[in-house]
Amino acid sequence: MTGARGLMWLSRREVLRVSKLWTQTVLAPVISSMLFILVFGLALGGRFKQVEGFDYREFIVPGLITMAMVQAAYNNNASSIFQARSDRYINDVLSAPMHAWQMNVGFNVGGFVRALWIGVSLLVLSLPLTGVPVREPLVLIVAVLLALVLFSALGTVVGIFAETFDHHMFVSNVVILPLTFVGGVFYSVDRLGSPWHELSHLNPVFYLVNAVRYGFLGTADVSVWLALGVTAALAIPAYAWSHWLFVTGRKLKD
Amino acid sequence: MAEQSPALELKGLTKRYDDGTEALVDFDLVVPDGAFFGLLGPNGAGKTTLISAVCNLIRITSGDVLVFGRPAADLTARSWVGLAEQDINLDRFLTVEETLIYHGGWFGMNRDEAEARAAEMIDVFDLRAKADTRTPKLSGGMRRRLLLARALMHRPRLVILDEPTAGVDFELRHELWRYIRTLHGEGTTILLTTHYLEEAEELCEEIALIRGGRLIARDTSDGLRAHYGAASLADVYVKAMGV
Repeated sequence: MTGARGLMWLSRREVLRVSKLWTQTVLAPVISSMLFILVFGLALGGRFKQVEGFDYREFIVPGLITMAMVQAAYNNNASSIFQARSDRYINDVLSAPMHAWQMNVGFNVGGFVRALWIGVSLLVLSLPLTGVPVREPLVLIVAVLLALVLFSALGTVVGIFAETFDHHMFVSNVVILPLTFVGGVFYSVDRLGSPWHELSHLNPVFYLVNAVRYGFLGTADVSVWLALGVTAALAIPAYAWSHWLFVTGRKLKD
Repeated sequence: MAEQSPALELKGLTKRYDDGTEALVDFDLVVPDGAFFGLLGPNGAGKTTLISAVCNLIRITSGDVLVFGRPAADLTARSWVGLAEQDINLDRFLTVEETLIYHGGWFGMNRDEAEARAAEMIDVFDLRAKADTRTPKLSGGMRRRLLLARALMHRPRLVILDEPTAGVDFELRHELWRYIRTLHGEGTTILLTTHYLEEAEELCEEIALIRGGRLIARDTSDGLRAHYGAASLADVYVKAMGV
């Protein structure tokens, strides 16, 4: 008994949940992000000068894809695990012959897969519309993986701690969304005056957006190594935190 | 070695919740392999806490829980236990068939095994007409059947039933008992909690009375009646619990 099959089936269950609710989990965020690209990139983009040598419609695509993916990863896991706790079906998983790390991975997979479906859909749709390049694919892959580890784990942690559905929505709407908006999705932070320029560097999402943007455009507001380093420095403890919750059973078991 | 061990052994089990409530205090209990064992006690006596400790659903404060000689947290020990909880705790996103297949999956079954066993359970519990129905759309009786089918899905050696007939009509209750009796006849150990004393008297070979997280008495139904000088198990319960 290794728990390997349990992990596979738990991962499959999380993906099944995403696919059963695909209009909410994938289609809706793809449409809203495409509207941003169409309105800001194509309709209004002509009013902006080039940003860092790129047309505005190209410049905003990496940040919008990042924003959609990290929100999806977070929201998926927070709501899935909160519902599992609320309906108490999580007991069926907690009593199963699986290691704590396998439960943690299994519950995190849904957010990962949902975010990837959204990201790939947006890339496929935005490529012909904006012509955004992918100049550093390896950096892009690493940046996306780190981003998804960070926000999937954060969603899992919040889903475990949340006492009401509002709690995880609060983190999404009051923390993640504002940080993403001011993280340089729609503009280059280099254009901001003091103190906003400096304050932007305190925003962890700024580094994440820039890591992904470097993967697409080959340029960013900060060193790509710093961007990846900061993202990794957040992703590792976030994942360790969700792992620790499954190991100790805190908030999962009375 | 494991085959000779009791189905369940609790040694000095204590559970103190974060609010200071002591649900179980230095609790010792041995349930023999193959037994039909009843746990009786008022609400808050510690029955569900005991079950949760066996199924790794709570963090125990101290003591040991052994399932067929292995620590309850051990993966093999977990695979030997099937639990039907008191509350309906079904996954709202899954159909009846998916509920069973996925449960089989996280208890180590491959797809073919899980599908075949799910089909068997669906037939046994008369869920065929609702196999593709999502769980929130099932009636109360159907949900109760599904809970029991899920608990038995992975062929556990120890089946724990926490008030499985609460809120179930007479007909279904007797149907469930008929199946559980058959299961016990095949050698499965049954640990049952119930508030229906006549059921415990009729079904259980041995009964433990619990109050305030402590074991009050443990014997056969006849033994308990003799010990308390009572005419029925209900009289035993009244005397033992000081109702």
